[in-house]
Amino acid sequence: MLPEFNLLMPKTLPKALDMLSKGAPDVTPLAGGTNLIPDMRSGRHCPVVLMDIGGLDELRGIHQKDGDLVIGGGVTVAELLDAPLIAQHAPVLKQAAAIFANPLVRNRATVGGNLADASPAADSGPPLLVLDAEVELVSKEGARRVPLEDFFVHVRKTVCKPQELLASVRWPVPAPGSVGAFRKLGLRKAGAVSVLSAAVMVEPDGNGRLVQARIALGAVAPTPIRAHAAEDALRGQAMTPGVISEAAYLAAVATCPIDDIRGSAAYRQRVVEVLVRRLLTDVAREVN
Amino acid sequence: MQPKVVTLNVNGRRHQVVLAPNVTLLQALRDLGYTDVKNGCEKGDCGACAVLLNGKAVNSCLVLAWQAEGTEIVTNAGLGTMDNPHPLQEAFADAGAAQCGYCTPGMIIAAKALLDRNPHPTEDEIRDAISGNLCRCTGYGQIIKAVQMAAERVQKTGAGGEV
Amino acid sequence: MKYKAKPLPTVELPELRTVGKSLRRVDALGKTVGATVYAGDFTMPNMLHAKVFRSSKPSARIKQLDVTKARELPGVACVLTADDLPDGKLVTDMPGQTGQKRRKGSDAPVLAADRVRFVGEPIALVAAETQAIAECALELIEIEYELVPGVFDPLEAMKLGAPVVYEPDNIVSTWKIRKGDVEAGFAAADVIVENTFRVPFIDHAYIEPEAGVAWMNDQDVINIRVCTQVVEHFRSIAQAVGVPHNKVHVRGTLIGGGFGGKEDITVEIFLALLAKYTRRPVRLVYTREESILAHSKRHPFIITHRTGVKKNGRITAAEIEMVSDSGAYPYLSPYVLLYATVTSCGPYRVENLKVDSVSVATNNPFTSAFRGFGGAQAAVAYEQQMDEVAKTLGLDPLEVRRVNYLRTGDRNAIGQKIESAVWLEEEATRALEALGEKETVSHDAIKIGQGFATTMQSYGRIMWFHDTSRSWVGIEQDGTVVVRCGAPDLGAGQANSLCQIAAEVLGVSLEDVTFYNSDSAVTPLAGTTTATRQLYMSGNATLKAAKMVRAVLLERAAKHLKEKPEALDLANNKAFVKSDPERSLPLADLAKMCAADGMKLQHLALFTAPFTDKLDPENLKGDLFPDFTFSAHAIEVAVNTETGEIMVLKSIGCHDVGRAINPTAVEGQIQGGSAQGIGYALMEEVRVEEGVIQTPSLSEYLIPTVKDLPTTKAIILESGTGVGPFGAKGIGEPSLTPAAPAVANAVANAIGVRIHDLPLTPEKVLAALDRVRSGEG
Repeated sequence: MLPEFNLLMPKTLPKALDMLSKGAPDVTPLAGGTNLIPDMRSGRHCPVVLMDIGGLDELRGIHQKDGDLVIGGGVTVAELLDAPLIAQHAPVLKQAAAIFANPLVRNRATVGGNLADASPAADSGPPLLVLDAEVELVSKEGARRVPLEDFFVHVRKTVCKPQELLASVRWPVPAPGSVGAFRKLGLRKAGAVSVLSAAVMVEPDGNGRLVQARIALGAVAPTPIRAHAAEDALRGQAMTPGVISEAAYLAAVATCPIDDIRGSAAYRQRVVEVLVRRLLTDVAREVN
Repeated sequence: MQPKVVTLNVNGRRHQVVLAPNVTLLQALRDLGYTDVKNGCEKGDCGACAVLLNGKAVNSCLVLAWQAEGTEIVTNAGLGTMDNPHPLQEAFADAGAAQCGYCTPGMIIAAKALLDRNPHPTEDEIRDAISGNLCRCTGYGQIIKAVQMAAERVQKTGAGGEV
Repeated sequence: MKYKAKPLPTVELPELRTVGKSLRRVDALGKTVGATVYAGDFTMPNMLHAKVFRSSKPSARIKQLDVTKARELPGVACVLTADDLPDGKLVTDMPGQTGQKRRKGSDAPVLAADRVRFVGEPIALVAAETQAIAECALELIEIEYELVPGVFDPLEAMKLGAPVVYEPDNIVSTWKIRKGDVEAGFAAADVIVENTFRVPFIDHAYIEPEAGVAWMNDQDVINIRVCTQVVEHFRSIAQAVGVPHNKVHVRGTLIGGGFGGKEDITVEIFLALLAKYTRRPVRLVYTREESILAHSKRHPFIITHRTGVKKNGRITAAEIEMVSDSGAYPYLSPYVLLYATVTSCGPYRVENLKVDSVSVATNNPFTSAFRGFGGAQAAVAYEQQMDEVAKTLGLDPLEVRRVNYLRTGDRNAIGQKIESAVWLEEEATRALEALGEKETVSHDAIKIGQGFATTMQSYGRIMWFHDTSRSWVGIEQDGTVVVRCGAPDLGAGQANSLCQIAAEVLGVSLEDVTFYNSDSAVTPLAGTTTATRQLYMSGNATLKAAKMVRAVLLERAAKHLKEKPEALDLANNKAFVKSDPERSLPLADLAKMCAADGMKLQHLALFTAPFTDKLDPENLKGDLFPDFTFSAHAIEVAVNTETGEIMVLKSIGCHDVGRAINPTAVEGQIQGGSAQGIGYALMEEVRVEEGVIQTPSLSEYLIPTVKDLPTTKAIILESGTGVGPFGAKGIGEPSLTPAAPAVANAVANAIGVRIHDLPLTPEKVLAALDRVRSGEG
């Protein structure tokens, strides 16, 4: 049995924000429940009041607006897989969605929930980081945008305030010619928490060099992280094996993994370098 | 924590039942007598509790019963009966895909969701669709075969629309 | 190396009507439409809900236990502790006939009184009006522990001065083989190869957690609806509860997976106690986490092989040491160890053999039966050892085995003569031929490896247990058939096989047969569904009973058709003259005639396995098992040498099952058993640290999903030489035994170095590759 709680089921976003504002900090938003419900069962989370946001249409939808791709916080991982806009403008995110958990979980887990839960291994983290995404946090008082990199603070900690909801995630439509890729390594091929993961995104200048490069890593730090030094080593360069190796090395150096039941810190640091190198090599092939 | 009257639409039947908010859809269904929906782990690891929620295959252990109000819920038992089994249920029976049978209802729900979207799945697509359903008995081989058989049979009978 | 299937000897197996056909199983449709009711699906009016209060410490004395607050919680019907159990005596003879002298205090108590020895040990029982109240009551139980030093490593536990789990010492069981002259054998060897292998705790991870409902009826009989592999537990349950044997009625259900984990008593005694105390129906269902915590595990083993061989691979001597972790209570540890000991050298002729095995108590989770029962663990070691021998000698791995394989008529490690077909080479070559050439890859970091294993696994129980089974077959007056047999069905098709056999003998179709099983009071007792014994034992009992019914039918039909009974046959629901089938009599009419004549249309048959005497544990020598199944499995893997990830590309299992009663069911067992073996090799481990399980749910304890393995190709051979019905052998356990060592051999082939402990995780692969690079090898 789950612990006892009160369950609010607002039908509109303003109503939800009003409930949050009145009830904070005791009101916990419930989206897909794929993390929250097991956490409640295990006793890790004992919310007094849950607020189901599954009925909020304002949190749904994937659309293009003013040069940005915008997805509602309540969009499910399965919906990402089906969306033509994602396939077209964010294949790196689609790649992650395709191997996220398993298909049953994908039908319920939301992007907003995955980000707000802020597991270091959150698989939507690295792709959205390389897309240079921002989250929109709304409350009764108003809305604010926070770059995803700043949104994550620590293990299961974000800047989201108790009165705030993660309403949407947006990123600029990548420049034409941009190529991205994501890979995760788990102890089995489905339903496995990432031992480590990586996403890369590059924007070639058309003359063999990179205008932009982003690298993000999962499960190798308290939060999903960008590897800035590695990105600097790529920017302005051609994607030669030497440049790629250097970037991969710098990415690994940027991590601070831990030993846990799924793997040792040493293994993670070692293999993340391999993963980034392979991803950059694959992407380089596509770029050239 | 105030219980309330919740209307659940299951396999085409309407049930009105008083439920506390902390009751999962899995529990509510089983208490209503839909014992074909199995409890294997109660945390989304095994898929034995899978049901269709507005046509999508989900773990009913991860849905609160209150959240399922207003949706169309289909359990494996709603797809067919001993007298009139669904092609998937028949194919599973013929292919030997049900050994202990405990994963079977959830597995068939996942397969149904697949065939509804994709009537001619490749083997890889079948594997993907049931990758959230654990089976400890079969090694999955005959399950894949059963889904392929069902897809073929439905095609042969020319059943249009939903399988 | 290209392998060609070795030709099989010609075997004339008669074409049968029902047996040998991949018919839809009798239980299949009920399961697929969701009509089948499992143990956790039952409810009764006025039912209570039970929970078990368990130890959170691996080794402690219970200083204080106070259940007052729990008892006083509104809605709680009762809270039982050790104090409340009959005569204060809580000791129960845990099942499996631990024939070795029972050691003082070594039986598992039903509820711990003053001492707990593993995390999860049951201490108190709660029954309440609702599940929620029962869970609340658990929280209100107050306990004070006094920690007692524990021991968590069997090697440490064997040392002098180690904490003693229970008196007099931590040695639970030992077995020895002393055959020939190993000194001389080693002296004659050209090369000696030594390796140590380790295998971990494994969880059965059946998708159905333990569950049941119990109630007392109007004759004071305690009824227990439960998923169990053994209905004969009613005796132990009665003893523990303090009632006569005939006052416990176990009604077993179709089981959602057993694999040995539901072989020991799980919820039955708790349910019986609560039902008796409250006089109301009581339901107890384990959560997954509780299941992982509360039930047995596969024994971890440390196995050391020292093998002396000639240059051509012929084994001149073998010395083997085995240590198993018995956990906190012995359960079936002595017998798991025995199976491992007797198969320790593999299906090979070893004239000079020395084996020393010991099972050791620790404060780890208790270990007991798991598919393979020691034979699986032994195979992980001996088949890797054979590959190491081959590598050392520079010989082909099949060649090294070929010169050593047992043949029909040879004697095994303990001198038992193998009477049935031993088609090891035929199986190995078929599996390897099907494996084909190594996959080619363009990825520079991927290495492909191929490996195989050939194994032996007994079917039928230890013969000194004097195993029997009973089956009752009857024909109704409308010509339909009923089979009643106590055999629990775990999902492998145990019940269906009996129905196909009855249908075959009586000339009806499978649809005309109904079965009743797994009921300790109402179905003839058929023994445990374990040890790959049901087809052999209950299949033979059913065959016997059906033949008795057939004889009566043919006798009466002969009178009617004015022929000798030998001239008649039964098929298509008719009795008919073989030489003139038009002259026939419908079975329904025939049955009515028999009834009118007062002839017996229902027969109970007893099948007895050979009865032998107990063997000497100091020098195992003699006949132990009715027979063995010999098996082969071949695997191809792709190993990513940069990440350590392993992907199984191909999997082939080839087994001589004697006779396949239902080939699809046999294929299903081969595919399923090998999936468990692949999981064993690559990803499964119950990690235990200082007695605490670190893998509490199916998120941490990983079993293969559909994406983790290819479909195993099953090659079924039929020698017809088994001692089961129609010459059948057994496949339940044998299907698993060769798979894990085959994977391990394939991985070693891929990376050029062996990892000596399972599971083969990506981290271990990288560490092994590092050793190669640094020259440690």
